[in-house]
Amino acid sequence: MVTCIDGHQMARQGRAGAALAVAAIASFFAGCIATGLIAGFAPPLAKIGQSFGAPEYFSLMVLGLGLAVVLARGSVIKAIAMIVLGLLLGLVGTDGNTGGTRFTLGITELTDGIDIATLAIGIFGVGEIITNLTQPQETRALAAKKITRLWPTRDDFRRAFPAVLRGTALGSILGVLPGGGATLSAFAAYALEKRWSRYPAQFGHGAVEGVAGPESANNAGAQTSFIPMLTLGIPGNAVMALMIGALTIHGIQPGPQIMGERPLMFWGMIASMWIGNLMLVIINLPLIGIWVQLLKVPYRFLYLAILLFCGIGVYTVGNSATAVLLAAFFGVLGYVFTRLECEPAPMILGFVLGPLMEENLRRAMRISSGDPAIFVERPISLGLLIASLALCLLVALPAIRSKREEAFQE
Amino acid sequence: MRPRKHDDANEERRLSLEREQTSSLHGFWPMLARRDVLAGLLFIGVAVFGLWLSRDYPIGTALRMGTGYVPRLLCWILFGLGAVVLVQGLREAQDARALSALRPLVFVTASLVIFGLSIERLGLVISILLLIGVGAVAARGLRPFETLLAALVLILLSWGIFILGLGLTIPVWPEW
Repeated sequence: MVTCIDGHQMARQGRAGAALAVAAIASFFAGCIATGLIAGFAPPLAKIGQSFGAPEYFSLMVLGLGLAVVLARGSVIKAIAMIVLGLLLGLVGTDGNTGGTRFTLGITELTDGIDIATLAIGIFGVGEIITNLTQPQETRALAAKKITRLWPTRDDFRRAFPAVLRGTALGSILGVLPGGGATLSAFAAYALEKRWSRYPAQFGHGAVEGVAGPESANNAGAQTSFIPMLTLGIPGNAVMALMIGALTIHGIQPGPQIMGERPLMFWGMIASMWIGNLMLVIINLPLIGIWVQLLKVPYRFLYLAILLFCGIGVYTVGNSATAVLLAAFFGVLGYVFTRLECEPAPMILGFVLGPLMEENLRRAMRISSGDPAIFVERPISLGLLIASLALCLLVALPAIRSKREEAFQE
Repeated sequence: MRPRKHDDANEERRLSLEREQTSSLHGFWPMLARRDVLAGLLFIGVAVFGLWLSRDYPIGTALRMGTGYVPRLLCWILFGLGAVVLVQGLREAQDARALSALRPLVFVTASLVIFGLSIERLGLVISILLLIGVGAVAARGLRPFETLLAALVLILLSWGIFILGLGLTIPVWPEW
């Protein structure tokens, strides 16, 4: 996404091929490093995860939500409200503990809860289409000029390489944090590159570092975000929540025990990540010419295709026509949120963590026989809660606030 | 947003600009159309709706939480947060016109709703035609011929990908 800021400018200068090639290579490099990191760090982390009880899990998720607040753009209170809204949406359906149905409005399909694919496609896919169409034509006109050369120059490589290294390091760290992941890493890497660069003026006008840094951070973050999911069973972001869903369908419960119980699956997954990265490069590099052609498709055709694939995608998840109607509803909601400057990403995280948090809250309360002090009596849980509180206070401080606004403006 | 340090001339200009803008932001309707006012009302609205829906859910105790314990708790928190956002919006003058340009909103949503309603009864081909036909109205400047071409390409593409390629069980033609 951030890659597009400078990638798009490079495309306008006729260097779309170079931009795509740099992006592909940067992704591959970052992917290799991040895969190595998962293989190295997941086993010891899983050991720690095994000592976690319900209160610790609950506090860890609070920390994740706190991070989502810090990383959201704009008003802090709105971000918190969006999280609460997401938590509420996550509760729709049948309550696992009592068997009672909640907020289903009498719609049969909702007794299983809202599918995350429906919510995400509605909010991000359909909502984005509406938002784009309401903007004036010029701003999204993709001027893919004549493409002069497909390959990056030697100078491009020389400038991109350090950016790739920095992006990979940053993305690997941010990916592990709950609430982090790919998008955030890319944003942070872009800000970092801009500050670090000797030619900051070129940023936003086709700087190759602006493509290489965020792209590698993006990929590194996407992969290291597997670490909390595989070791603790907690999805750090919406994508990991989808992964958990996919694993559960196959009868696999992600968590600390996964490495002991299914070592083959665990290492197979890590190997497949690396192969996936390799395939990406092998497939992408020769096809760059074709992707560049795709850029020439005007948005007025593209949105119809995206809209249709959103519709078919949502329908096929559960062969449910109701899901398509729900996605349309969430599309409207997504558009409204964008216009009201309420960021939907914290809501998605809340939605994912909602049922997990409720479950662990209930368990913790049963352990302590109804005494909420259990969260501050356990040292790990207390530490996590203090960290979350510190995060929220940090955002409220004016100095950090202006810096955060600055970072997101770039 | 807190203004950063400006030199005096800049500050002066900014203030006069702000005054100009705020003059058109008062009165009941412009005030209601402010971003944070609407957002606050939205949050409060959802919270009240949630509280009303969960009015009969058993709450239980902290030890044995009932179906309604966590939902009602969250609704009250959302209500409070919404109220704060609302008050902020009322105090700070902001750009109005939070919602405009209804055409894409109406037609994109309508096309998807129609698609959802028709896919099982009328099949993939007719549903795509309907979705493209209604969806094309959302953007200006799409000619009828182009729309038809786009529909044909997309029908072939989705038939190739989803039916042939992935073997999904979507009805292609209407069931008689």
